[in-house]
Amino acid sequence: MSLDFIDLSKTFLGRGLGESVHVLDQIRYRIENGQFVSIVGPSGCGKTTLLRIIAGLEKASAGRVLLDGEELIHGSETIGLVFQEYALFPWRTTLQNIEMGLEIKGVDREKRCLTAMEYIKTFDLSGFEHRYPRELSGGMKQRVAIARTLIMNPRVVLMDEPFGSLDSQTRNGLQEFLLGIWGKRGDTILFVTHNVDEAVFLSDQIIVLSRRPARIVKTFEAGLPRPRDRTGQECNEIRREVLKVLSKAT
Amino acid sequence: MKKISLLVLVQLFLLTGPSQGQPVRIAYLQSDIHQLPCWVALEKGFFEKEGVKVEVAGIFKAGPELMSAFAAGALDVGYVGVAPATTAVANKTARVVVLAQVNTEGSAIVVKKDGQIRGIPELVDKVAVVPGHATVQDSLFRRALLKFKIQPDRVKIMVLKPPEMIGALRTDQIDAFVAWEPYPAKAVTMGLGRVLAASRDIWKDHPCCVLATDAKFLETQLEKAKGVVRGHVKAIDFIRQHREEAVKVGVKYTGMDEASVWLAMDNVNYTPFLSVEGEKEYVDFLTKLKYIKVEDVQIFVDRFMRPEFVKEIIKR
Amino acid sequence: MKKEHFLIPLSVILIWQGFSSLQVIPSYKLPSPVQIILGFKDLLIVGVPPGNLLHNHMLYSLYRVALGYAIAALLAIPLGLLMGWSPPLLRMTRSLFEVVRPIPPLAWIPIAILWFGIGIKSAAFIIFLGAFFPILLNTISGVLSIHPILIEAARTLHAKEKDIFLKVLLPGAVPSIFVGMRIGIGIGWMTLVAAEFTGVKEGYGLGYMIMTARDIQRPDEILAGMLVIGVIGLLIDIGLRTVESRTIKWQ
Repeated sequence: MSLDFIDLSKTFLGRGLGESVHVLDQIRYRIENGQFVSIVGPSGCGKTTLLRIIAGLEKASAGRVLLDGEELIHGSETIGLVFQEYALFPWRTTLQNIEMGLEIKGVDREKRCLTAMEYIKTFDLSGFEHRYPRELSGGMKQRVAIARTLIMNPRVVLMDEPFGSLDSQTRNGLQEFLLGIWGKRGDTILFVTHNVDEAVFLSDQIIVLSRRPARIVKTFEAGLPRPRDRTGQECNEIRREVLKVLSKAT
Repeated sequence: MKKISLLVLVQLFLLTGPSQGQPVRIAYLQSDIHQLPCWVALEKGFFEKEGVKVEVAGIFKAGPELMSAFAAGALDVGYVGVAPATTAVANKTARVVVLAQVNTEGSAIVVKKDGQIRGIPELVDKVAVVPGHATVQDSLFRRALLKFKIQPDRVKIMVLKPPEMIGALRTDQIDAFVAWEPYPAKAVTMGLGRVLAASRDIWKDHPCCVLATDAKFLETQLEKAKGVVRGHVKAIDFIRQHREEAVKVGVKYTGMDEASVWLAMDNVNYTPFLSVEGEKEYVDFLTKLKYIKVEDVQIFVDRFMRPEFVKEIIKR
Repeated sequence: MKKEHFLIPLSVILIWQGFSSLQVIPSYKLPSPVQIILGFKDLLIVGVPPGNLLHNHMLYSLYRVALGYAIAALLAIPLGLLMGWSPPLLRMTRSLFEVVRPIPPLAWIPIAILWFGIGIKSAAFIIFLGAFFPILLNTISGVLSIHPILIEAARTLHAKEKDIFLKVLLPGAVPSIFVGMRIGIGIGWMTLVAAEFTGVKEGYGLGYMIMTARDIQRPDEILAGMLVIGVIGLLIDIGLRTVESRTIKWQ
């Protein structure tokens, strides 16, 4: 499995007398199967737009996205997206949120309930399966959101600053949790963050984007063995490099 | 000298009081040809000629509404059906005194011209409308039913305002209406309705509309009340002697054509003389219908009606 | 049921009775609480007009409201969901509704009678008009207030248009729909009583009852009737709120 971006560009046309906004400029990259790739860049540079194009929520102005060499057709069951704001359906319980995708697919009630309960166990949500999102903490909500995405077994998992609205302790815990899940499953993950520490801790590769219109400035191989020491020397080195490039790109 | 005359003037002014300068508030029922004496008196200035200034304080769709205005203290004099007036006084919501009759008879039960209904018994299980509960028409209708030994609850009796009755009959929403003239006459001249029974067929010489005054007004402004009654008697005389002119006044105030008004007036008997016996029958009937409860009929009627007013005026 | 809830109404009633007994308030203008209670007894036992008892008046009024309201809800909710969902549809229909909406339901009475006659159909039509717009507008607003991100999340889970309509729009709009329904029934109930003033074929109805009490000059029965209407309105609202809180556990 490989995911290719071929010269992806995006321009938002201005409305009326407004100016057009060039957001992405010829992004070209290949992500291999099972890799954990992070994208970092200045605020507003277009990281989210890139994810949305891959997820099918936006259309590229130019360029293509290829999955295994074929044009990516949206609506097919390949791409998952985890939002920063969780986007849980408030009227659905934990269980119902997680099984939403299966329900839409038409899986029968018993089967999808069983599957969802497995995920609830794995994601440490036991006891909360019949609670509503308003009763859950931020960390729990995000776990529900990730479970909801992963239960569909997407070819690629997109994550848009998923831990951005959490406090640092919860965030660290969730990072470790995510690595644990990923280790067992081997999903291909494309992870957007503005937090360099996070990128360094998590990823195999780090892509640094420039300011708008975003180009790939540099990519880093961050393939340190896991579990990583956040404050360790190797991490610090990589972090330093990334920050250097980032500050120039800003 | 100047000081004294000023004092005298002030005293006179105070004695007569600001209320003396205010016009008498008079009300009548909309398009009800029974009220013709009121309209004639207004048109010909008969009240003014007796030294009484009047203003029309209300035109009402039916008697109960007019009685509510009395209850609110908004009227001094009203031309109204004796049944709603009796009900209001018996239920103690308004304090009025009846000084003169306005008319007897003058209502009718009307059905569709080419309909199947030929007699009152055929109204069982049909829909009939009256202008209001405890109106003269309501009482008459129930009386008619009882005459034929029909319990009133076997007919669907509804309330509809007279202006809406003809339309409702035309579109078969209702099977019969009971209204004051000129509505029955109009239904006939339109070729749409047929009189099933005129009110005189149900109860000959039955009292209908009366001239009622607010009790307080009568106490404080007796002379003005007398003046109003005098104007009223003059108007009835005028109607008798100048029928064509009276018809014209009727056309003006009802908005209906001359043919209908002529026909309507044929069914109405204008007279100023009160019928105490008729009133006692009303009290009896309204009590039987459970609209009112009166402990002593004689005392009630004595307080309610003052036939001596008209007798005194006619004597002169 | 706390004690404080009753303190003010109770004092009002006591003061009122005091004023009435002293004839500071004349009884023909405002009957005393005691007279109203007696009037209520008459409504129950004797009936207004005599022979037409209170419980039948209540049943007929409730039936008229139920009919008009049910039709309003059945039309307004799906229409509101569609209009909220489809901006072009909303644009096209909005101006029509915005012109009709401000017309008070009671102004429709003459037309209603022409179209439907004097009877339950025209009464139900008036109720329908009163209830329809609050339900419609609140449904539309319920849909529009759903965070777009929820729709996008559903899309990423491969929801088709039908799925989005049934699994996102409808449940997401439910709280607003309930708000609209409560407002709608409130207006519908108020409108019914006034609509009955114009004529009621069956001879039963709370508005008709009050008008008749006015005709036969019984202000005590008028006020007792008004209280009945108010209490029923309150009970209906409480009923709806209870259904709402049982249905929407997630807020």
